Amino acid sequence: MIVIGLGEGAQRRLAVLLGDMFGEDERVSADVASFLDAYLRRAPLVPAVGLRVAIGAMIWLPIAFIGRPAPAHLLDEATRRRYLEAWAGSRVYWIREAFYLVKAIALMGWGAHDVVRTRIGLPPVAAERSAA
Amino acid sequence: MSGAHDIADFVVIGSGAGGATAALVLAEAGHDVIVLEEGPDVTAADRGLGPTEAFTRLFRDRGAQVAMGRSVIPVLQGRCVGGTTVVNGAIVWRLPEDAHARCFGAADAQDTYPMRELERCFDRIERDLSVARVPERLLGGNGRLMRDGAAKLGWRGHAIRRNVVDCQGSARCLEACPTQRKQSMDVTYLPRATKLGARIVSSREVRTIEVRGDRAVAALGRDVLGNSFRVEARRGVVLAASAIQSPCILQRSGLGGREHVGAHFTAHPATAVMGVYPDDVRIWEGATQSYEVDHFRGEGFKMETASLPLELAGVRVPGLGADFRNAMADYPRMAVWGVQVRAEAEGTVASAGRETRITYTPTVRDMERFRRGVRELAKMHFAAGATRVLPGVHGGPVVIASVDDVAKLEDISIDPRAYTLIASHLFGTCRMSNEAHDGVVDLNLAVHGVRGLWVVDASVFPTTLGVNPQHTIMAVAMIAAERIGESAPRA
Repeated sequence: MIVIGLGEGAQRRLAVLLGDMFGEDERVSADVASFLDAYLRRAPLVPAVGLRVAIGAMIWLPIAFIGRPAPAHLLDEATRRRYLEAWAGSRVYWIREAFYLVKAIALMGWGAHDVVRTRIGLPPVAAERSAA
Repeated sequence: MSGAHDIADFVVIGSGAGGATAALVLAEAGHDVIVLEEGPDVTAADRGLGPTEAFTRLFRDRGAQVAMGRSVIPVLQGRCVGGTTVVNGAIVWRLPEDAHARCFGAADAQDTYPMRELERCFDRIERDLSVARVPERLLGGNGRLMRDGAAKLGWRGHAIRRNVVDCQGSARCLEACPTQRKQSMDVTYLPRATKLGARIVSSREVRTIEVRGDRAVAALGRDVLGNSFRVEARRGVVLAASAIQSPCILQRSGLGGREHVGAHFTAHPATAVMGVYPDDVRIWEGATQSYEVDHFRGEGFKMETASLPLELAGVRVPGLGADFRNAMADYPRMAVWGVQVRAEAEGTVASAGRETRITYTPTVRDMERFRRGVRELAKMHFAAGATRVLPGVHGGPVVIASVDDVAKLEDISIDPRAYTLIASHLFGTCRMSNEAHDGVVDLNLAVHGVRGLWVVDASVFPTTLGVNPQHTIMAVAMIAAERIGESAPRA
């Protein structure tokens, strides 16, 4: 059985971009990257491949989008933001969708994070069993 | 069922609205019934765990099933004992007469499924599932605002009728009700059928139906460990695996003809528009879906509240970094309303090895309805007091700050790629017809050319319904199962 995931290095690189996406600190961003790794390991193969390719492309393709020959996590913050805006606002549907695919799955980890939920004033992600 | 082989009068494939209803009716008639469900049992530990765990444990393809066409559209279906009834919003709609005429009239089946017969079944189902309107205390901020907005605009709307007993208002219907108040099939018809001797077997994926001569005699498949099984049917096989899986099983079995099985896939795609209000809405409190506006149903779309959890609400919220974070800080003050379109588009469903391929592209007319629906939702948000609206349509205004700016939405794109659509009401892939050359099943839902094989799910409807389909699926399954029980040939 083929299992797709994110290695430690990929998680570290992705966490930088997730921090830019959601405006969260390193800890939350690292947790969301870890969530994506766990999600990929449980996802059906075809969607997992699609998500993994999208993540890889977002990390490694600044050269194609903004002409900078470096992986995204090594760019300065303003350039990274410009790079992510190029993905999110692309006129090419499949590029835009790749960005939203990564964002949508990452949001599952972000929205379930205790720090985020506490800040927004939400109850824990799992219903309290005493209510059952 | 512990072994790889078993036998029953009827083998029912699928345990959702259609399958559970058919199983109960057949069991009540004294038949020996086995229900085979591809997904797992739903335990207390699986309920109310948040969207990620719900998708992973309870949805088909872990929530990643999509229709491909001009755009990618997620197709949400439950895959567990109880099927989609476990993870839907518990909305119960009696089929209106105009929808009855449009849908059943398309197959010349109005006399086979007359309104009075459907009403008889609706009455029973509503008693059995404790159907009632959402009370005031469970409307939640989301529902109250829609009610107020619709009232100010003079639009027809009402609290939604739902199959829930003593709802606790946790807005977690889509995660399997954490308090088991929702009267989904896993807590109603399936246990009742079990008491009458029916056997519900989970984690058994039926791949094909075995036919001997011209008669269906068994369901063949495999369990989660990959072990094969064969369940023999003395009197018949009742296929109720949904508008996605039923045609795939027929295709793999070489049944139902080539022209129509998996063709004519129709749906009610939907999209959402968010409004931000000055005061707390607290979308996570109240019924998951509490209020609807059916003022525009005659024009092909309907509006509903939808308590989108934080994890899903943020997808189309614009901005990066601090901008996104600040926008999401407004989540407690957001109301989320959806527009659901009675789409004309037809797609296809096909079994492709281990995968299922769904193709679907809304028509121009469908997209015009979406554009109109988004505009009307924005208007209603402002009527309800929103300070700004996020239409969520690519290329259009990202934020609308006043009702005067709603006019800007008149020119937004009607390209499906500009919208975030989902599809959850699925129809048509084994449509009923009098003649074998025009459909897959006859008007009694028997597969043309095969004895002892019926389809009793939403795949048999020749058109979309235009309203939430669970009630009609169950009523049609009830009528069909009554007839099957009386007429099925003995082996």
